[in-house]
Amino acid sequence: MATTVIMPKLGLTMKEGTIEKWLKQEGDRVEKGEPLVEIITEKLNFQYESPASGILRKILHHEGKVVPVTTPIAIIAEEGEALPEFEAIQSEVPIEAPMPAAAAQGEIKEHRERIFASPFARKTAQEKGIDLSLLKGSGPGGRIIQTDVISAVERVQTEGARPSVPAQKPADKLIPLKGIRKIIARRMTESFRDTPHFYLSVEVDMSAVQDLKERVKDEVEKRAKVRLTLTDILVKVVASALKEHPIINSRIEGDQIRLLEEINVGVAIALDDGLIVPVVHHADQKSLTEIASVIRNLTRRARRGKLTLEDVGGGTFTLSNMGMLGIDKINPIINPPECSILGVGRTVEKPVVQGGEIKIKPMAWFSLSSDHRIVDGAAAGLFLNHIHKIIENPDLLLV
Amino acid sequence: MAEITFVESLRMTLKEEMERDPSLMLIGEDIGRYGGIFGVTKGLLEEFGPQRVRSAPISESAIIGSALGAAMTGIRTVAELMYIDFTPVAMDQIVNQAAKMCYMSGGKAKVPMVIRTQEGGGRGNAAQHSQCLEALFLHIPGLKIVMPSTPYDARGLLKTAIRDDNPVMFIEHKLLYASKGSIPEGEYLIPFGQADIKRKGKDVTIVAISYMVIVALRAAARLAEEGIEAEVIDLRTLVPMDFEAILKSVRNTNRVVIVHEGCRRGGIGAEIAAQIQEEAFDALDAPVERVGALNVPIPYSEPLENAVIPDEEDIVKAVKKVLYRS
Repeated sequence: MATTVIMPKLGLTMKEGTIEKWLKQEGDRVEKGEPLVEIITEKLNFQYESPASGILRKILHHEGKVVPVTTPIAIIAEEGEALPEFEAIQSEVPIEAPMPAAAAQGEIKEHRERIFASPFARKTAQEKGIDLSLLKGSGPGGRIIQTDVISAVERVQTEGARPSVPAQKPADKLIPLKGIRKIIARRMTESFRDTPHFYLSVEVDMSAVQDLKERVKDEVEKRAKVRLTLTDILVKVVASALKEHPIINSRIEGDQIRLLEEINVGVAIALDDGLIVPVVHHADQKSLTEIASVIRNLTRRARRGKLTLEDVGGGTFTLSNMGMLGIDKINPIINPPECSILGVGRTVEKPVVQGGEIKIKPMAWFSLSSDHRIVDGAAAGLFLNHIHKIIENPDLLLV
Repeated sequence: MAEITFVESLRMTLKEEMERDPSLMLIGEDIGRYGGIFGVTKGLLEEFGPQRVRSAPISESAIIGSALGAAMTGIRTVAELMYIDFTPVAMDQIVNQAAKMCYMSGGKAKVPMVIRTQEGGGRGNAAQHSQCLEALFLHIPGLKIVMPSTPYDARGLLKTAIRDDNPVMFIEHKLLYASKGSIPEGEYLIPFGQADIKRKGKDVTIVAISYMVIVALRAAARLAEEGIEAEVIDLRTLVPMDFEAILKSVRNTNRVVIVHEGCRRGGIGAEIAAQIQEEAFDALDAPVERVGALNVPIPYSEPLENAVIPDEEDIVKAVKKVLYRS
C-alpha cells in the first residue's frame, strides 16, 4: 500500500518545517528507517527517516519549501502501484487549532516570501541590479510596479551609492542565507526587533567556584567519566537562582506572563555553521555530575548534527559562556521566547581592592540581557546579584 | 485631397472596382433602386444594370449561397448583409461553406467574395440591430475580417478585399457612415495585416477597431490634457492581425488597453490580451485591460444603451487603471 510521508511534528511547539534536502530522489528505492529527508525546524536540522520501504514515487514539496506539520511531502509506494491523489490527501490533513489573531497575522507576514511585482518591474529590476525584496510596492495589493523600481534606482544614485550591478564589481563571495543560518537570522531579528532588551553587568570574583571545581572534579570524573567545566557549574548556579526568582523563568504570552514550572537551562554552543542551544532539562533538580554528563552528551551530538527537537526545545533561560573565546564581556540577544539570557566572559586575574588592600583575584564579567516587558531593572538586578552571591560563595547551593 | 464621407468613399470604391472588373457583381437586400439602407449603392443599378446590381429577396442564406456559388465559378461578388445581426441566418453558408471551400477542395476552388455588412449600436436600434459580432468570425479559420474606421482606410481596404481570392468579412459601423475624411487623388490599396498608428504616445497603448478607434482618439485627447500620452493603434484588419505592431508599441509603453464595442466576454480583446501576455509578458507593468460592452443584449432605451456600450470615459478609466493612477 502506498505510504504518504508527512511533515513530522517533532515537538509540541513545531508548526512547520523547511525541507532542506531530499536524501533520495524520485524513483529511488528506500528502506524503512533509512534517512529520507533533511528537515529544518525553528531550532535544528533533522534527518527524517523513511516510515516505510518502497520506491520514492513522488516528492510533493521541493527543497527550500516551508511546509506546515502533517502536510504530505512525499509518497512511497511499490513500482506500478496506484498513487493516492495529492489533493485528496491534503483535505484529510487535520487542521490545526486557530492561533491567536496577532500570532496568525505575524505568521502570514513572515511567510509571504513571494514578491508581487509586475513582469516589467521584475525585468527592470534585473537590468538595474535592484533587489525587489527591498522595495515597497505602490500598486494594488502592494504590487511592485516599474515606477517603484525606477525611484529606487534614482534613490540609490542620489545617495551616491551605485546600484549593485553584479557585473560591475570584482566577484564578492555570496553565501546564501539558508539552513541553520537562516533560522538564526530570523529568530534573532525577531527577538531584537520585538523584545525591548536591557542589559545589566557585574564583575564577579571567580576564586570560590574555581576552588569548588578543583575540589569536586575528580569525584565527577569518577562518577560520570566526564571532566567538569565552569559551564557546568554555571548551569547549576543559574538553575538555583532561577528557583529563587521565578519571574525570570518566564515568557510573554499575548497579554500575560507565564511563570514556568520547569527550569530548563539552554547552553549556547558554537558549531561550524552557526549557533545551537541544547537544553539541560530540570537543571534545578540535577546534580553537578548529572549536569556535566548531560551537557557533554548534548555537545557531542550537536557537533554530529544528531540533536532531536526535544534536545533543543523547552528552554526557559539561556547561558552563553564566551570565556573560552577570550571575550571579556558580551551583551547577548535574548533567545525567544525566553525572558533573559546570561553572558559570561573570560576569567582574568586582576587587582581588586578588598578591605583596604589590593589583591589579585580571578575576575569575570557576568552580563544579563532581559525582556523589559517582563521585568524591570530591579528584579533583574536582584537575580544577577543572587548569581553573583552564589558564585562568590557556592556553599549557598547547599542551603 | 477631397473631403468625402465614409458612404461616398465606399460607393466610389465599388464603382471603380466594377469598372475595373466587368465580372464584379453586387447582391443584397434593397441595394438596387433604393440604393441600400445607408445609401452605399445609390446610383449603381442605373450605371451597371440589374445583372450586376442584384436586389435579393429577404433570405440571407440565399444571398450568401448564391454569392458563394457565383464566386466559385469565377464571378467576383460583393454580397451585402444589411445588419451583422442577420449573419446568423446565413451562418451555415458563411462558416461551413465559404470559409471551408478553398481548404476542402485542396485549393482548387477559389472564393473571391466579400461580405459587406455593418454593426454597432448608438442609434436606438435595439438588441437585434445593434450587435457587434466580429468575434464570432474571428473564431472561424478561413475568413478574413476587415473593420475600417475612416473613409480613407475604407477605400484602400475595400479594394484589397474585392481583389482577394478568399472570403472577406468587410464590417462597417453605422455611426461611421456620415464621418468625413480626406482621400487622395488616384488609386491606392491598403494591404491586410497592417495596423495604423492613429496617434503616437509613450505612456499606454490603446488597441481599437472600427468606431472605437474614433472614441479612443477622443479619450486620448482628453488624457493628453492630463499629461498622459496614449498611443492609439487601429488594427484595421482582425484577420490577418498585425500583432507585430501591437508588440512593438507594448514594449515601448508597457501598458495596454484593448477597446471594442462587442461585449467583453469572448470578445476580440480576450484573444489579443492572451497573445500579448504570451509574447510580451516581461514588458507588462500592469494586467492588460479590456474595454467592451456589458454582457447583455443592447437595450432599446437610450440611457441604458449608453450605459452598456463603452464610451470615452470607460477608456479614460481603463488607461488610468493600467497607469495606477485611478
